Amino acid sequence: MSPKLINRLLLAPAGLWLLTMLVLPIVVVVVFSFGERAQAGGYVPAFTLEQYLNLPARWKAFQNTLTLAPVGTLIVLLIAYPLAYYLAIKANPKWRTLLLILVIVPFWTSILIRSYAWIFILGGRGIPAILEFFGLEGIRLINTPFAVLAGIVYGYLPLMVFPIYVSLERLDKRLLEASADLGSPPWRSFLQITLPLSLPGVATGCMLVFILLMGEFLIPAMLGGGKVFFVGNALVDLFLQSRNWPFGSAVAVALVLVMLVSVTIYMRAIKRWGNGRDDVSLM
Amino acid sequence: MTDTPDHISAKAFMAELERYRKGSVSRRHFLGVTGLGMATTVLGSAMPSLITRPAYAQGSIGDSVVLATWPNYHDPASFDAFTELTGAAVQVNVFGSNEEMLAKLQAGGSGWDVFVPTNYTITTYVDEGLIDPLDLSKIPNYDAASFDERFASPGTVNGMLYAASKDWGTTGMAVNTSQTNGRVLTSWKDFWEITQAEFSGRTTVHDYQLTTIGNALKSFGYSFNSVDPAELAKAEELLLAVKPHLFAITSDYQPPMRSGDAWLAMCWTGDAKQLNKDIPEIQYILGKEGGEIWSDFYAIPKGAPHLDAAYALINFLLDPAINYKEAMFHGQPVADARVNAMMSAEMMADPIIHPAAELLSALEFGAAATLTDPNRAELMARFKSA
Amino acid sequence: MRIYAIAVYLFLYIPIGIIALFSFSAGRNASEFAGFSVKWYGKALSNPFVMDALQTSLTVALISAIIAAVFGTMAALALQNMTGRSRAFFDALIYIAVMIPGIVIGISTLIAIVTVFGWLNPILVAIWPAEGPAPQLAMGLGTLIAAHSLFNMALVIIIVRARIAGMDRSFTEASADLYATPFGTFRQITLPLIQPGILAGFLLSFTFSFDDFIIAFFVAGSNTTLPIYVFSSIRRGVTPEINAIGTMVLSLSLILLITAQILLQRKRTT
Repeated sequence: MSPKLINRLLLAPAGLWLLTMLVLPIVVVVVFSFGERAQAGGYVPAFTLEQYLNLPARWKAFQNTLTLAPVGTLIVLLIAYPLAYYLAIKANPKWRTLLLILVIVPFWTSILIRSYAWIFILGGRGIPAILEFFGLEGIRLINTPFAVLAGIVYGYLPLMVFPIYVSLERLDKRLLEASADLGSPPWRSFLQITLPLSLPGVATGCMLVFILLMGEFLIPAMLGGGKVFFVGNALVDLFLQSRNWPFGSAVAVALVLVMLVSVTIYMRAIKRWGNGRDDVSLM
Repeated sequence: MTDTPDHISAKAFMAELERYRKGSVSRRHFLGVTGLGMATTVLGSAMPSLITRPAYAQGSIGDSVVLATWPNYHDPASFDAFTELTGAAVQVNVFGSNEEMLAKLQAGGSGWDVFVPTNYTITTYVDEGLIDPLDLSKIPNYDAASFDERFASPGTVNGMLYAASKDWGTTGMAVNTSQTNGRVLTSWKDFWEITQAEFSGRTTVHDYQLTTIGNALKSFGYSFNSVDPAELAKAEELLLAVKPHLFAITSDYQPPMRSGDAWLAMCWTGDAKQLNKDIPEIQYILGKEGGEIWSDFYAIPKGAPHLDAAYALINFLLDPAINYKEAMFHGQPVADARVNAMMSAEMMADPIIHPAAELLSALEFGAAATLTDPNRAELMARFKSA
Repeated sequence: MRIYAIAVYLFLYIPIGIIALFSFSAGRNASEFAGFSVKWYGKALSNPFVMDALQTSLTVALISAIIAAVFGTMAALALQNMTGRSRAFFDALIYIAVMIPGIVIGISTLIAIVTVFGWLNPILVAIWPAEGPAPQLAMGLGTLIAAHSLFNMALVIIIVRARIAGMDRSFTEASADLYATPFGTFRQITLPLIQPGILAGFLLSFTFSFDDFIIAFFVAGSNTTLPIYVFSSIRRGVTPEINAIGTMVLSLSLILLITAQILLQRKRTT
C-alpha cells in the first residue's frame, strides 16, 4: 500500500464523521435560518432575512455571554495556573498522579448535582446566613452574575488545570536549576523559562474554557434563576419554549460566527505574543 | 364495607404497602385497608381490573411507564402503589409550561406515555396530530357523568374524548405575610408594585408566558388572553421594568419560598396549599382584576411506547380513592364528584382550594390562540433574555 | 504554594462534601438535614430508572470515547503527513468541531436528524421487503453516541497531534534508517510516545460524554442518561436520592482511581 492510500484510510472514518455530524447539521441550520416559523411552531421553508433582522432582540444575551465568558475564563486561569504549577513542579512526584486525578474527580459527579450544591451554598441558608452572623445583612448571592461566575469557576477549573499541567510537566527542570545556579531570582526564571514554556497549555486551556462558556446553558439556568441569560439559554428557550426553529437557527448561526471571530482574533494575538513560535497554537 | 376506612395517611399507606410487599398481609387486606378495595367494592364491575383481570398481573403491561407532568403534582406514594399493583415503574418528567411540553412532542421521540396538558392546549395537540383519542374501554374509572362539565369539557374535541380531567385550579399569588409589614395585597397591580419596591429581589414569576404575560396584562385591566399588539406592548414595558427586581423566573418556586429567599410568587392553587400547610404565614391571594382559572388533563401522545401501561396509569390515577389521595397531597380541587364526596367539609370550604364564587367569576380560562401566538412567545423570550 | 493548593482542593471538595452529607439525611427535602439515614441509597439502588440511566450513560461514554480515541488517533497520524489544501480543509473542520458550542451541536443535530429521518422513513416504508412494519429511524442511543463522538474525536485529534508535534522526529527517522517497517516504527516508537496523549484524550472524552447534559437533552430521544435523569429530578423537587447517586458515582470512581494508583506504585517498586 502506498503511504498516500494508508493516509486516506486513516482519515476516512473521522472525515465521514465530520461530514455527517458536523457539515450536514450546519447546512441544515443555515437553511432553516432563512425560513419562517410555522403557525404552531417549527419550520416552514421560505427565503427571508426576517430572522436575522430580529437578532437585536437577543442583544442582551449576547452581551452577557461576551462579558461573562472572557471574565470567567480569566478567573479560571488565575486560579488554575498556580495549582497546575504546584502539581507539575512542586508536588511530591509520588503523589502527583493522585493529586492530578483528584482535580478531575469532581467532574465525575454531574455538573447538575454540583451546581445544585451551589444553590444551597449561595442561597439564603448558606453563605449569606454566615455573613449575617458576622453582621453583614441583606447580602444576596444566588441568582446573580456572581453566582453564575462561581459556578463557572467551579465547573471549569479542571479543564484549565490539565492542559497547563501537561505543558509544565514537559518542562526540563534542569533548566530551572541552571537558571538558579546562574544567580537568576525565581521570579525571573518563572517569567523567562516557565511561563513561556507553559503558554501552549494556557492557550489550550483558555480556548477550551472560553468555547464551552460561550455555549453555556446549565450554570446560568441553575444559578442565575432565569435572570442571567446567556445565548445558550436564549437558544434553549427558542427551541423548547417558543418553538421558533428559524429564529433559533439564526441565533445559532450568529453565535457560531461571533465565536469564530473572537477565537480567531484570540489565536492571532497568541501567535503574535508567542513571537511566531510554532508550538503556541492549537492547530 | 362500612368498616373500611375512607382514607388513610400517606405514611400509613406506605406502611401497609411495605407489609404487603413483605407478604405479611394479604392482597385483600392491603386493598381493603388502603381504600383501594373500597373503590373496587363501590364500583364493582366497573373496575374488575384491580381484583381479577389478568391485565394487571405483574409485568403484563411492561415494566415501565413515562409520565410528563408539572412540579409538585403527584403523591410519590401513588406511583409506588401503582408499581406494586402492576409491576410497572413510573418515570416522572417535570415541565414548567405547556409550551415546553408542546415543543418536546413536536420534535418527536419524547418517549412519553402519559402527559398532563392544560385545557386550552388540547385543540392544538389535536390539530397538530400529536395526541390520540382515549379508548374509554381501557379507562373504566372514567365516569363522564361525575365530572364537572366546566372543567372536563375541554378534554373533548370534535365529539371525541382526547383527555381525561385530572384537576383544576387558579393562578394567584403566594405571599409571605411575615414580610409585608401588615400591607395586604389584593391585586396584580399590587403584585407588580411591591415587587419594584419593598419586595425587590424577593419575587418569582412563572417561566410560562400564559400566566406571566397574562397577569401583567390583568394589572392594566386587559384580558388575560390578549394578543392585541398595543396591550402586549404595555405588558412588555411593565415586565421589563420589573425584571431587575425579580428573584427568579421559575415555575418551581416552592424551594425559594420555603427557604425564605423569595417572599412573593406567582403561584398555582396546589403549590399555595402545600406552602400554606407547612408555613401558615404564606397566604394565597387571587388578583381582584381576575386572572387564570384552569383545568389539567391526562392525555396519551401519539406513538406512546407503553400504551397498555399508559391506560393502566390513567385508570389507576382516576380511581376515586387514589385521586382523593392525590388531591390530599397536591392540594388542587378536582372535578370528579366521586372524589369530592370523600372530602371533608373543611377541605371543601378551604378558601385556597375553593375560592369564593365572586373571586372565581372574575377569572378567565386560557385561550388556544395564546399558545401558538408568535408575539406572546417572542415577548416572553425577550423578557427572559433582557 | 502548598497552602494555596489545599485551598483550591477545599473549594473543589466542599460542595461535594455537602452533597455527600445531605445524602444521609432522613428527610425528603434535600436542603434540610433531618436525621441520619442511608435509606436514600437503598432507594436509588432499587430505582430501575436510576440504574437504566447509569447504564445508558456508561455505554454512551465508553463507546463514544473508544470511537474517538481510535478514529481520532488515526486521523491525527494521517494529518501529520499531509500538507496543502486538504490538510487546511480538515484543520478547519476540526477547528469548527471543537469550537461549536454543545448547545448548537445539540440543536443542529436535532433539526438535521428530524429533517433527514423525515425523508428517509417514508422511503424505508416503501422499500421494506419483509412482512410487518418497516423499522423507523428515530433519535436514540445511536444519534447520541454519534453526536458525542464528533466533539470527542476532534478533542483526541488535537491532543494527540500536540503530542506528535512535541515528539522528537529523529527517533522515527533513526528507526527508518535502521530499516524498520513503517508499522514497526509506529508500534515501537510512535505509539509509546503518543500513548499518554491518546489516554488523556480517551479520559477527557469519557468524562465529557458522561457529564454531558445539553447535547443529550436534544438528541437522546426517549433515552435517559444520568444527567438527564438528575435534571428532571431536580425539577421534580430534589430528594436526597440525587445526592446519594452523586455520592455513589463519586466514591466508586475514587476507589477505582486509588486502587489503580496503589497497584501502579507497587508495580514500580517491585
